[in-house]
Amino acid sequence: MRQEQFVARYQAEWQAFEHWLETREDLRKALSERNTGDVGDEDIPARYRRLCQQLALARKRGYSPVVTARLQALMQRGHNLMYRTPAPRWQRAVEFLLADFPRLVRSEAGCMWAAAALFVVPLVTMFFLLQWQPELIYGVMDPAAIAQAERSFDPAAAHSKLGRDSGSDWQMFGHYIMNNISIGLRTFASGLLFGIGTILVLIFNGLHIGATFGHLQQIGSGDPMWRFVAGHAPFELTAIVIAGGAGLRLGLNLVAPGRRRRSDALVVAGIKGARLCLGIAFMLLVAAFIEAFWSSTQSIPAWIKFSVSGVLWTLVFAWLWFGGRNQPGDGDAP
Amino acid sequence: MLDTYREVVTPEGVALHLPAAGPVPRALAWSIDFVIRLGILLVASMVLAMLGAAGQGLYLVVLFLIFWAYPIVLEAIWSGQTLGKKALGLRVVNGDGAPVGWLPAITRNLLRTVDMLPFGYATGLVASLADPYGRRLGDMVAGTLVVHTARERDAVPAPINAVLVPPLALQPQEQGAVVAFGERAPLLTPARQVELADLAEPLTGTRGQSGVLRLFGMANWLLGRR
Repeated sequence: MRQEQFVARYQAEWQAFEHWLETREDLRKALSERNTGDVGDEDIPARYRRLCQQLALARKRGYSPVVTARLQALMQRGHNLMYRTPAPRWQRAVEFLLADFPRLVRSEAGCMWAAAALFVVPLVTMFFLLQWQPELIYGVMDPAAIAQAERSFDPAAAHSKLGRDSGSDWQMFGHYIMNNISIGLRTFASGLLFGIGTILVLIFNGLHIGATFGHLQQIGSGDPMWRFVAGHAPFELTAIVIAGGAGLRLGLNLVAPGRRRRSDALVVAGIKGARLCLGIAFMLLVAAFIEAFWSSTQSIPAWIKFSVSGVLWTLVFAWLWFGGRNQPGDGDAP
Repeated sequence: MLDTYREVVTPEGVALHLPAAGPVPRALAWSIDFVIRLGILLVASMVLAMLGAAGQGLYLVVLFLIFWAYPIVLEAIWSGQTLGKKALGLRVVNGDGAPVGWLPAITRNLLRTVDMLPFGYATGLVASLADPYGRRLGDMVAGTLVVHTARERDAVPAPINAVLVPPLALQPQEQGAVVAFGERAPLLTPARQVELADLAEPLTGTRGQSGVLRLFGMANWLLGRR
């Protein structure tokens, strides 16, 4: 078929497709208005495939760029429309949090346990080391930071809030969100440095927290300190460990990609890590909320705080352990 | 490595053309975004300063959102473009040419942390110079690509109305070159036009100004002006 005949035969189809694109391309407009054109929305996939076939034909037959460029442009617009991001749905978000996220965490159990060990072992070691050799604290922490921690948890102090020198609940809420979630996300991202970044972040955080706890316990500020951390620890510490696990997976896939190309292995770990990060951000958000509005309240007696903490630890572990166990999973589909 | 043009075959069996963007336009787009983000923060800080300590907390929440969520949300819902990318005509797409989704957008923006190391996106710059498609590390992990959006070039009116049938049948690439000459030569100096047209001497059969006119005529014919 000659080019002129080809164009004459299909011109009307292309124009109809183009017209549909112009009137219905914008999702919001398409949802609010009825389709009054000749081409129904349901016909578009078929028409798009037809257009693709015509483009392939036009290329194969060596038609001039005037035709192929036009078809190419139409095809690309159609392609962007066909494969665009689906709008997020609320129900899906709840499902993700309740079922998919715990399932994801369990699917990386090895990395998660490794991250937990990298975090908990330095923490506990440092804690007990300081009970035995209290002066070691000056080797790991800056004197100003020590003084600040001592002030924040001074049992004799008159200020009404636990765990801080000053600042209102809301101010601290913002502070915790900015700081803690950023640390969590960075813990994951630094796994791209062959996992070394994540390992260092986990160990240093473990050391630092262990040193603070150990020192405060040793100087006799243990009571306000435990009352402060009991509430948000279940979410915050677990989230940091999960972020570490995701980072380790990323680093591991870079170092040992297995039977995949290194780039493909990285993409798999990256997408998985992004999904984990959604859950991590949620957990840290909850932790920031608890830390700002519950943990710092002086008036709540210790036994309530510790019982709530026990309930929360149980909840977090039950959630991660049982969440989504008996449902048909969607596997790795995003 | 010099050819940054990537062709991806879609499920429908036709090739998508993805002209990958290099570090310079991307850095410019990032700076535009940076200025916009600073502006938002400035306005937010002025408004929230009136609310006292609670305002300070909210300011930190805004800071968090601007820092982490701004690029993710814009890229995911606005067909892969932040404001800066829109201004520079760039777009983030999946490696297979599809519009970028939420998860790749999250991954590539979280991994900015690594690309920023040790300072000023140095890692990202090295990665994007080494990669044939100019991807930084975050792009590689997310499986995404930053491309130039095709600029809609207005059809330049033909400088002459003459139509000339090419003396021999041309291959599609050759036709493309002649049509491109017809569209773009009016933007060049006459001397450069002649220089380019002289290269096509086997086709036009002459040199100098008459070669230019003949090429314009053939471009008109190829564009269907009869």
